[in-house]
Amino acid sequence: MNGLLTSAVAGLTAGGAYGLLGVCAVFTYRLVAVVNFTSAAIGTAGTFVLVVLNEAGIPLFPAVLCGLVAGVIAGVAIGLVMTKWFAESNASTKAAVTVALLVGIVAIGLRLTGGQHPHHFPDLFSGSAMRLAGVELTISSLLTIGLGVAFTILADVLLSRTRMGLHLRALSERPMAAELIGVPVQFLSILVWGITGAVTAFSLMIIAPQRSPDFMSLSLLVVPALAAALIGLFRSFWMTLIGGILIGVVEGMTSVIGGLNQYRGAVPFLIILAVMLWLQRGARWDEAR
Amino acid sequence: MKRASFRSASVIVAAAMVAGAIITGLLPGYWTYLATSVLISAVALQSIGLVAGRTGMIALCQMSFAGVGAWTVGYLNVGGAPGNLPVWIFIGGLAAVPFGVAIGLPALRLRGINLAIVTLGFATAFDAILASITFPGQTKFIAVPRPEIFDSDGGYFIFVLIFYVFLAVGLEFLIRTRLGAIWLAVRHSERAAAAHGISIPGAKLSAFAISAFIAGISGGLLAGYLGTLVADNFNMMQSLALFAVSTMTGAQFAEGALIGGILAVAFPEILRRLNLGQDIGNVLFAIGATQALSAGESMSETLRRKVRGWRKAAPAPLDAGARIAPPAAVPLRHGTALSTRGLTVRYGAVVALNHVDLAVPEGAVSGLIGPNGAGKSTLIDAVAGFLHSYSGSVELAGDAVDDQPAHVRARNGIRRTWQTTRIAPELTVGAYVRLAGGEMSDAEVQAILNWIECPHPDTLVASVDAGTRRLLDVAGVVAARPKVVLLDEPAAGQSYEETIKLGRHIAEIPKLFGCAVLLVEHDMDLVRAACSEITVLDFGRVIAAGAPAVVLEDPRVRKAYLGIEEGNAAA
Repeated sequence: MNGLLTSAVAGLTAGGAYGLLGVCAVFTYRLVAVVNFTSAAIGTAGTFVLVVLNEAGIPLFPAVLCGLVAGVIAGVAIGLVMTKWFAESNASTKAAVTVALLVGIVAIGLRLTGGQHPHHFPDLFSGSAMRLAGVELTISSLLTIGLGVAFTILADVLLSRTRMGLHLRALSERPMAAELIGVPVQFLSILVWGITGAVTAFSLMIIAPQRSPDFMSLSLLVVPALAAALIGLFRSFWMTLIGGILIGVVEGMTSVIGGLNQYRGAVPFLIILAVMLWLQRGARWDEAR
Repeated sequence: MKRASFRSASVIVAAAMVAGAIITGLLPGYWTYLATSVLISAVALQSIGLVAGRTGMIALCQMSFAGVGAWTVGYLNVGGAPGNLPVWIFIGGLAAVPFGVAIGLPALRLRGINLAIVTLGFATAFDAILASITFPGQTKFIAVPRPEIFDSDGGYFIFVLIFYVFLAVGLEFLIRTRLGAIWLAVRHSERAAAAHGISIPGAKLSAFAISAFIAGISGGLLAGYLGTLVADNFNMMQSLALFAVSTMTGAQFAEGALIGGILAVAFPEILRRLNLGQDIGNVLFAIGATQALSAGESMSETLRRKVRGWRKAAPAPLDAGARIAPPAAVPLRHGTALSTRGLTVRYGAVVALNHVDLAVPEGAVSGLIGPNGAGKSTLIDAVAGFLHSYSGSVELAGDAVDDQPAHVRARNGIRRTWQTTRIAPELTVGAYVRLAGGEMSDAEVQAILNWIECPHPDTLVASVDAGTRRLLDVAGVVAARPKVVLLDEPAAGQSYEETIKLGRHIAEIPKLFGCAVLLVEHDMDLVRAACSEITVLDFGRVIAAGAPAVVLEDPRVRKAYLGIEEGNAAA
């Protein structure tokens, strides 16, 4: 039993990162109406900048900063493609575009980072924060979850309490109309892409040392992120965060149940299926086209 | 219809025979080997073309389905199952279908993007599972044997070519059936498809299941091609790249799948010879797909448009069928076709419809008029089943239909048109009438089109002007011969002469097709010409109803339209 608890807690770091990535996905969807399949790839790009700089002997802190900046740049680059050419496209086309971009980014990423060539991923926050009921809580798990909570609160407040949030919501519903009434559409969308780029880069930096450290595997962390967003129905930040943590914890628990560990990758899929079945209660029309 | 299928099929067979002869006869062995790979990719691309290009869903696990097919073939081989490779490949295709259905079922009733997420999730899960269970025979190096006569590289090329031709010809026939038209309609507009009585989940599921089958076949072909397989052959990045290629080339068309197959094989090959990374090919596919999405047109669609432009195919002369008589008159029914009782619709605090009682009598054209925002289109949405909730009830010939979803109401006899036309432009005029009206003879289709003065059934909808498409909307709903037809501003955007003509046609609908008509219109000339009675809505309430001459003179109606009392207007 204690083993199960320990492994569940061990999944908290990943869970927190999933939650954070999921909240970013919901943030992007609610503000610029894009289901972004490239989000984890954007974060991965930032993470590899950190790794490469760190390997070149640059101290951790400035390297992390450069990595975050790289995340912002990558996010803004994708954002420019989306706002320039696809601002008026329907949600399905936008999602298809991000899938296509993901294919390209992963190819470039694998090329630049040498494919499966091993890299050293620095553990940003190693060590234990505290012991609770005989179980270690690591700093990184507390940090990702804390960050997730902070970002969730921030996103919630921004969207529902501020004038900028109102503008952003108008932007996602009807970009053209929002532009006509004087909302700085381009600027705000790019801002959203930049912020989510930084946040995803940070989450990826924390979770990367625990994963197979190649560009592709890390980019595909978008799957648990979107699974978490689905639990929040692409609306609720809190449900998304909880969903992400849940996925991490379930993944962690598979490690103690004999023989299940190698199927860890199937956990997000099973959770997605469960959520879908639960959502089956009423047909929904695709947006009017 | 049939003729077009046979024509495309014979083009495919002839092209395959020529290509087969050239490639096996003239090209060196390595090229034959590559060409086989092109065909296997083309089969996989056809599978994704069906779901993504034709039905408009984002499916990101086609290579996992291929993996199921390949795994099955390996399993049957290692287990010494009876039969040989072709049989196993077929079984492999079938084995992929339940996976497709199991993934599709939970996602298809929801919005499209969920399918993208669930399929990507499945691809990750499948990767993880395949990596740990490995392919049957992988560790003991038991290769999948090819049939004896197809054992050489050239022979296996012919073997794969035969499969490709069978699938391509089968698809050519399939896409010209009503099911093919349904897929296009769903891609273009789910609502419009449901309004034709089409079950959207059913349509999507059929496309997804057939696509899984074809993907499974491609996996089986790959098993025979490579002999032994590893999990990486079906890695999820391959599925994603396949999606990008199919988006770029338009894999829903036979030539698009083939071009895609060539690109998918040629790029890595060229890059390999230039000592460049083969993965750079994916960057080009990503750019190509993004370009195609922003242009709204894949390579094959561009190609087809250009070819159509060169041919300048003279639109089939109208007089070809001019002698065909209009549809025969049907006996008129009596009573009330459709009625609403206390129909109330709220959007938040706004009451769009407020206790509306409306009766549409059999055998007649009734008008529903009112200023903008009066609730006319909301009423049509509610009656046809496109609103999530309303209170009150809708009765079709006395039976309440409130618990029926839109497509069931359409099947039971409530058909509607839309303010903006939503016909999939890839369809032919005749295919659209059949899509809307169900299976009917060529003569019937021709008769309806002639009656409303639409072009020849073989004309592509994309080449028909907007005004004629509005007429085609009307032709579609009456072709189904429902109990009630709801026409939402059919004359919008028509010229005066066209409107008068349309009015005449609408007035004939009850007599020729046996449908009661509810006409929503702003054009008073049309309303006067077609309607035998009128209901007037204002701010969601019925303010007048009765004969046109009386209602249109009613001061309340005039005030609703002009916004002022008549007396004041004079002063």
